[in-house]
Amino acid sequence: MTAFWLLAPIMVVAALGVVLSRKAVHSALCLAVVMISLAMMYAMQDAPFLFAVQIIVYTGAIMMLFLFVLMLVGVDKTDSLVETIKGQRLVAIVLGLLFGGVLVTVVAQAFVGPVVGLGEANADGNVHGLAKLLFNRYVFAFEATSALLITAVLGAMVLAHRERLEPRRTQRDLALERMQRYAEHGEHPGNLPTPGVYARHNAVDVPALLPDGSTSEISTSKTLRDRGVVRDGAFAGDVSVTMRRLEADGPERGRVEPPPSTPARHDGEEDL
Amino acid sequence: MSDYADYLATYASVAAIIGVGVLLAAGMLGVNRLFRPTLTTPAKLLTYESGVDPVGAGWAQSNVRYYVYAFLYVVFAVDAVFLFPWAVVFASIGWAAAIEMAVFLGFIAVGLVYAWRKGVLSWT
Amino acid sequence: MSAVSVQAIVGAAPSPIEAPDVDYATISPLLIILGAAVLGVLVEAFVPRAYRFVTQIAVAVVGVVAAFVATVVVGAGLDTVDGEVTGRGGPTAMGSLSVDGPAVVTWAMLLFFGLLGVLLFAERRLDGGLSAFTSQASTPPGSADERHATRLRIEHSEVFPLAMFALGGMMFFASANDLLGMFVALEVLSLPLYLMCGLARRRRLLSQEAAMKYFLLGAFSSAFFLYGIAMVYGYAGSFGLAEISTAVSSQIGGQNLLLAGMALILVGLLFKVAAVPFHAWTPDVYQGAPTPVTAFMAAGTKAAAFVAMLRIFFVAFGGARWDWAPAVWAIAIITMLFGAIASIAQTDVKRMLAYSSIAHAGFLLVGMAGLTSGDGVTSVSAVLFYLVAYGAAAIGAFAVVTLVRDAGGETTHLGRWAGLGKESPVLAVAFTIFLLSFAGIPLTGGFISKWSVFAAAWDGGAWPLVVVGVVASALALFFYIRVVVLLFFAPPQGDGPTVAVPSPLTWSVVAITVAVTIVLGVLPGPLLDLVQQAGAFVR
Repeated sequence: MTAFWLLAPIMVVAALGVVLSRKAVHSALCLAVVMISLAMMYAMQDAPFLFAVQIIVYTGAIMMLFLFVLMLVGVDKTDSLVETIKGQRLVAIVLGLLFGGVLVTVVAQAFVGPVVGLGEANADGNVHGLAKLLFNRYVFAFEATSALLITAVLGAMVLAHRERLEPRRTQRDLALERMQRYAEHGEHPGNLPTPGVYARHNAVDVPALLPDGSTSEISTSKTLRDRGVVRDGAFAGDVSVTMRRLEADGPERGRVEPPPSTPARHDGEEDL
Repeated sequence: MSDYADYLATYASVAAIIGVGVLLAAGMLGVNRLFRPTLTTPAKLLTYESGVDPVGAGWAQSNVRYYVYAFLYVVFAVDAVFLFPWAVVFASIGWAAAIEMAVFLGFIAVGLVYAWRKGVLSWT
Repeated sequence: MSAVSVQAIVGAAPSPIEAPDVDYATISPLLIILGAAVLGVLVEAFVPRAYRFVTQIAVAVVGVVAAFVATVVVGAGLDTVDGEVTGRGGPTAMGSLSVDGPAVVTWAMLLFFGLLGVLLFAERRLDGGLSAFTSQASTPPGSADERHATRLRIEHSEVFPLAMFALGGMMFFASANDLLGMFVALEVLSLPLYLMCGLARRRRLLSQEAAMKYFLLGAFSSAFFLYGIAMVYGYAGSFGLAEISTAVSSQIGGQNLLLAGMALILVGLLFKVAAVPFHAWTPDVYQGAPTPVTAFMAAGTKAAAFVAMLRIFFVAFGGARWDWAPAVWAIAIITMLFGAIASIAQTDVKRMLAYSSIAHAGFLLVGMAGLTSGDGVTSVSAVLFYLVAYGAAAIGAFAVVTLVRDAGGETTHLGRWAGLGKESPVLAVAFTIFLLSFAGIPLTGGFISKWSVFAAAWDGGAWPLVVVGVVASALALFFYIRVVVLLFFAPPQGDGPTVAVPSPLTWSVVAITVAVTIVLGVLPGPLLDLVQQAGAFVR
């Protein structure tokens, strides 16, 4: 029981962390803690097979799938928290608590007697006992599971995989196409201009200056332009900007000293 | 209750290894921390991107096509769960067990063949 | 690892395990369907794109027909079991499946629905030579890539193996003899349906939303079902329905655990049959899913889930019937009334059919609440008859929905259907027949099926349910008549609905379902005999 009382608080705190943490990644990590603790619980309950499976499948595979999905989402996406049905959340919380209360009561009332049948089930060892059921009594359900897995593969493929519909274009094709465009529309066939890195600034979010003093739109990455993080010409020394950004990020990035005197390297550049 | 204690004792070695692992990692990092000079400058906290200051947050959205790889892996990780007990009883069941597992793996292999023919496994 | 721990895992001298003994002939229909599904995946992998769609249709149709023949053979060869009530057949495949009379009838019914579904899936003449499914589900809706894929005329022929997997899951669900198998079957039938709901060619965002809602709520209800299974296992110490039944009648252990387990299992199943208050997904999913999928799902899922529900509650929890019957009574009443009243307010044909499906879940629950067994109309036979009649009419009605179109695909707004009687009298008459069957008008299958569930309920003393059922039927009738008036007598809006000219596939579906609906109304005898001879569940 000692192990239970050690693990239980950890699990409860981690489970709360899953629900309450603001960043999805932190939720996922808390979930991993819950899963590992659960695996230890299984080990304590004479279920070594379940212990191994919990670690291999849940903490390994399923957790990885969770993280993959998080990467697909992009963390800075915030959901709209506007309730479409008024009072929905309150009703949900009340009903959820009631439901949880009923279940806890039921389970608590039921599990007061001593556990029976465990020794019998594990007589030949836990894995052997399981295999006996899996490959004999429940063999049909076992085989049907493969239908489930195949459906899952089909589903993932249909929804996420885009089949190549045309032969792949080689570099030669691309070059030809570029020259064609140059011949027909006068589109510049060479590289795009580089951003204003080193000329005025030490990052790729500043457009290059053209000879007439205006900025070149095409010198910055389209992704940055779409995100709206491209900076225009006028800004203070970029180091102090970086400092402010770091401070705004809060204490998680570590203690940030007050800005020292601007490094000499940047001094001249600010005047440009 | 002594049975239970005995049973838990079989996990003592596992617990010991975990403990040693944690101690080792913590020890190495701790010793590092003791000996290294700690001079925090904001520039040191920046992500290194070939000498250019990073722009935007460190998190980028990845393409959904990679999800298929993750998923195929999970499918096969799940079937490994069944292989474990199967291996334990294979000797006592014999051919029937081999056929059962062959059917199961065959079904799943069909899924893999499908993915392969759709060109998931080739790099584009 | 020390020697002690190795022994803890592997055991000292393991007792031998016998190889499982499975009677493959008895479960051959199920094996044929799952085999057709796997074959379909291989076809998808190896057959060139030009022939793929046609090959898939062939594999699916041949598989379903072969499975149907096998079902008939199995059904003819079932042994009669005499107990307190007559049954046929019994557990097979190591006790995982119970191939008894009701199971075989359900198999045949599901295969019939499956065949009609496949015919609807295969229809390609309505949308400029393309099926009702999106060209490439991974392209964003409305994108250039999507248009490109459509221009290349590629198609997702994966829907055929997916439908076969769903069909196999339904058949397994209806015949599973233990809760573990039921859970696996529930997932096998649900997963392909979640997927197919999101594959519509037109109004893709709506379709994807439907799939997402169905998936999330479906997963939630599966969790309820699983939680219930765990509690019942805790109570009875077994997954097998027969063992649970023994435990229930000998009243071992804590009754609270049993009650909670039954309640959670009931919730999971009521979600699948779309009973109030677990119906919220139904209108959105029925509306958003591609119409052929809606047709297949409306008929198939309801049939499989109802038979599974009857099996669990009659076989395993039969001894605790006075504990669960009140809940079923209450849910039957609110489901019938809600379904009938809510369908009145609908302006969309697919949503209207969805609410009608909810109301029919209520009528089916009336049959279940009757708890009648023995000779004459039993609950099981009444529900089986009802499922055949309802499923046929529902598939037919959705098949008609696929045919009434405008430039943007199907036009499902009820107002746009005004004047369909002038545009295409045949189609309007067919739709009217389906509506009249839903309403339970004499000379349609709906009348006999309503009569049989009400008779079963009345015999079982559930007369208040019968009264409410008649009231709800009257309410629904009012609405269905209004739609019929709209079809034939209302002036068309604008230039009225256009009816696409389908291939013989959809025509034959409409013709077959009309024929079944009328034959069941005029000559119900053979099917009534069949479902009554099927007898009770055998555990």
